[in-house]
Amino acid sequence: MSIEAGREKHPAAVPGTDVAAAAQGARPSASDPGEASLRATDLTLGFGQRAILTGVNVEIRRGSVTALIGPTGSGKTTLLRTFNRMNDKVAGYRHSGDVLLDGQSIWHPGVELMALRRKVGMLFQRPNPFPMSIMDNVVAGVKAHRMAGRGELKSIARDRLSEVGLWDAVSERLKDSPFRLSGGQQQLLCLARALAVGPEVLLLDEPTSSLDPIATESIEALIRTLVPALTVVIVTHNLAQARRVADRTIFLNNGRLVEHGETGQMFEDPAEEETARYVSGRFG
Amino acid sequence: MAQSAPVLRPGGEAGYGPLPRRAGARLRASLKDGTVIRWFGAGGALIPVLALGFILVILTVRAWPAIRYNGWGFFTGTTWAEGNLYGNSVRTGGVLHPPGAAYGALPAIIGTLGTSAIALVIAVPVAIGTALVIVERLPKRLASLVGGFLELLAGLPSVVVGLWGAVTFGPFIAHDIAPLIARNMPDVPVLSYFRGSTGNGQGMLVSGLILAIMIIPIVAATTRDLLGQVPILPREGAVALGMSEWETTRRVTLPWVGGGIVGAVVLGLGRALGETMAVAMTCGAVLSTVPSNIYQTMTTIAATVVQTMDTAFLDGTGFALRSLAELCLVLMLITLTTNVVARLLVRRVSGTALPVGRGL
Repeated sequence: MSIEAGREKHPAAVPGTDVAAAAQGARPSASDPGEASLRATDLTLGFGQRAILTGVNVEIRRGSVTALIGPTGSGKTTLLRTFNRMNDKVAGYRHSGDVLLDGQSIWHPGVELMALRRKVGMLFQRPNPFPMSIMDNVVAGVKAHRMAGRGELKSIARDRLSEVGLWDAVSERLKDSPFRLSGGQQQLLCLARALAVGPEVLLLDEPTSSLDPIATESIEALIRTLVPALTVVIVTHNLAQARRVADRTIFLNNGRLVEHGETGQMFEDPAEEETARYVSGRFG
Repeated sequence: MAQSAPVLRPGGEAGYGPLPRRAGARLRASLKDGTVIRWFGAGGALIPVLALGFILVILTVRAWPAIRYNGWGFFTGTTWAEGNLYGNSVRTGGVLHPPGAAYGALPAIIGTLGTSAIALVIAVPVAIGTALVIVERLPKRLASLVGGFLELLAGLPSVVVGLWGAVTFGPFIAHDIAPLIARNMPDVPVLSYFRGSTGNGQGMLVSGLILAIMIIPIVAATTRDLLGQVPILPREGAVALGMSEWETTRRVTLPWVGGGIVGAVVLGLGRALGETMAVAMTCGAVLSTVPSNIYQTMTTIAATVVQTMDTAFLDGTGFALRSLAELCLVLMLITLTTNVVARLLVRRVSGTALPVGRGL
């Protein structure tokens, strides 16, 4: 499905289909794993006079978990937020170079921004439920994109909540406020909400930084179940977390991409001295 | 407590022991541990409650003979007449009153509710729209400039607005706008109130519009402050989910402060219900007729009180003043009822919203 395809009914909205099938259906020819889902070419980002990232060339492999690591201010989050154009409206934001999603520039004039963001979902540092019931939270995106009829919403909510393991906890109080849930449950709810619109790529911006170890563990386990149906990019300050969940890791420092490779190799035997110093905790 | 606090002895070493008694030691101690502040706080918190109760009681006591004499007819009658102030007073059921006194508040009650309804219908969308534009669209400097003007407008004396309404705005509406509406409105129930003679610039519509102009700044300024407090994270979440700006506003930003906006609207409604001068100057002051269309001259409770005050003092039996007190009591009850209803509404709505405490 092309990005311009807009807001027609999405397969994920049909009850009974899971995200995997939906995502597969969305790109029938793209099952071969090594291929790039997102590709940044010569990407330079900045706010006003300040350069954040310079000359980044990177491929995010489809159906895998890629971690973005690096010290504070290295541009991880800016890069992540560029993938679904969340920075576009930030004052002074500028970019050169390009980002391709499935081979097409995300800034191409034919790309509908709302449709792009439906394909590239996002989870934030802290849970951010909307001020509406738990049920409405899960289907908020589905409603906004008119992906399903009124009658189907309930089953969509049930499927997504089950998928993130929240159904048993909230099935009795779907009409309740999400703000009475624990932080971890709220983040799971936000994940269910992001999954409900059937994204291809999920961007996670330090999704567990505000959660306790137990909740973190369940989110991490969940991330592993999302691949290979989805492509996941996760920004994390927690090197151990990158090691646990990521197939591949990208190390950014001072606005440059220092190294990109298999997670195991990045941590055991990095090619760059800078990477070695960072992953062994000697700076950052 | 202060008695057992470590004290620095003259010798320079710290130790425990009774403090030397000084004048005001107890006061000092109770200032320190917060007793004084607590009592001041409790007193301050009681003042509004006492004031409200006091006013209600006084009004009821003053109005009691009128309540007895006027009965339920006060709410259904349409005649507002002091009676023959020069005739011999009559005693009915123990209540002394001039002969021919008849008090029916229906026109005033309908006028109050009607003008306030017109004001709300127009002011609420305009005010919320204004607040949204200021918060989400205008660049920072322009936003604070427009916001400043808004606050200035909220402080405009009502007599100024009233004069402008009576001299300029009213005739303009009556001659240039109202005829267009009146001619094109279909003759079906409800809408037929928009048909008919459009008068000459004094009446329900003009008063309602004047009230709208007066409460827009109040509602807009309050809503703007509320919207400014909506955190960025849920809004970013909505944007990241592919919601358009309008969807983000409608589904996340506005519901986030929904309870507060209801509060702002109630604030405006309270002003509209009780506004006296501007309405008295633009309503036409026809005391004893229920308007047959929305352009017709009429009166409100507040306008009736201010306009019949002078003659009421001429009533030697004091009955006219008692009836005005009863009228004021009705106005207070209307205001209190709308307030309570709005609060209940907020409590129900905010059941699923507002992480920032209930009943904002």
